[in-house]
Amino acid sequence: MPVEAPNPDNTSGLVSTNPPRVSLWELVFFFGLIGLTSFGGGLTAYIRRLAVTQKGWLTDEEFFSALAIVQILPGARVVGISVYIGNHLRGLLGASLALLSIMTPPFILVCFLGLLYFHYGENSDSKALLAGVTAVACGLMASMVFEAGQKSIRGIFDVLMIIVTFLLVRLGHMHVQYVILLLGPIAIWWHRPRAEKKTDGIDQKGSIT
Amino acid sequence: MIQTFAHLVALFMILSVSAFGGGKVVLPTLQHQAVENFHWMSNQQFVDLFGISIIDGPSMMVVTLVGLKACLQYGYVIAILGALIATIAMFLPSSILVLIVGRYWDSWKTSPWHESIQRAMMPISTGMILAAAFIIARHSIHTIPTAIMGLIALCLMLFTKLNPVIMIVAAAAISWVFLR
Repeated sequence: MPVEAPNPDNTSGLVSTNPPRVSLWELVFFFGLIGLTSFGGGLTAYIRRLAVTQKGWLTDEEFFSALAIVQILPGARVVGISVYIGNHLRGLLGASLALLSIMTPPFILVCFLGLLYFHYGENSDSKALLAGVTAVACGLMASMVFEAGQKSIRGIFDVLMIIVTFLLVRLGHMHVQYVILLLGPIAIWWHRPRAEKKTDGIDQKGSIT
Repeated sequence: MIQTFAHLVALFMILSVSAFGGGKVVLPTLQHQAVENFHWMSNQQFVDLFGISIIDGPSMMVVTLVGLKACLQYGYVIAILGALIATIAMFLPSSILVLIVGRYWDSWKTSPWHESIQRAMMPISTGMILAAAFIIARHSIHTIPTAIMGLIALCLMLFTKLNPVIMIVAAAAISWVFLR
């Protein structure tokens, strides 16, 4: 094992600084633990505290660069960040292991709960239990509407986009990929970089909680 | 069975690369496909599974449960295989995208278009989440007590930092005691 060589796996060109040497086991353990304890979200700040502050695996600048990437791309943010960190530390193998380790614990837990649901879902006890669970799920969803709205509305055009998207999906039953293909280019063109108007900087770090 | 697997892969690979703004934005499409198109489950089951899925893991673990239910008719082993296929199809394409974009990021991150895309996508994802909230609400808020619980959860989320899993467990206990 080439222990001496300084980060031989970093062939990605993702980073400007040399990441510390981290064993694959440590990666698996780290992301496995996050996957295991990722109850209820709010994970981005948690990962940052562990990986940047405690472990020193990447700098704050690198972390926010990663966050900017995953925010602009589709997919769950936590998964994207994990894949990025895994790649940053150990290349493609690290990225694969990070993805695998963060997904396995919730996969097992959710599958187990799902099988319980299909086995016992019809009895009155579990129906009563689920009434509370889904009511809270609805409250969470509504709170996400508020949070997303707060972040996205900067003008009347943004409000219009929200309404048009909602109507297309709710009444037109249009699928998400077509909505994005239809409205995305229009909205990007509307928000296109304009030389004369100084764009008010979007708060890229704002969604860290 | 193979056909169900193929449907899962095709559906979730598209949703994976469409989930701008996080997993929740694909919920309306997922509900429409799982309930009305493929008839894998009822609306009530879909919302129940969504409630179960937010207990652990990244947003959209509900895809795992949709995969599970889609293949449940073939037995438990195939059902877990279906869950695995759905999960991989949902999380792998977006992860590959992170690696590809990450590779070229340094030369692109100063581009003003970056900000344009982000500002453009956020209202669209807000509209999607709003539509998703309507779907969840229609099949979860049936009675006055569930409406009150939903409202309390909303207020706690907006004004406190309480972990939502604590709310879910508490609500499950409360509704088990009072609504049974």
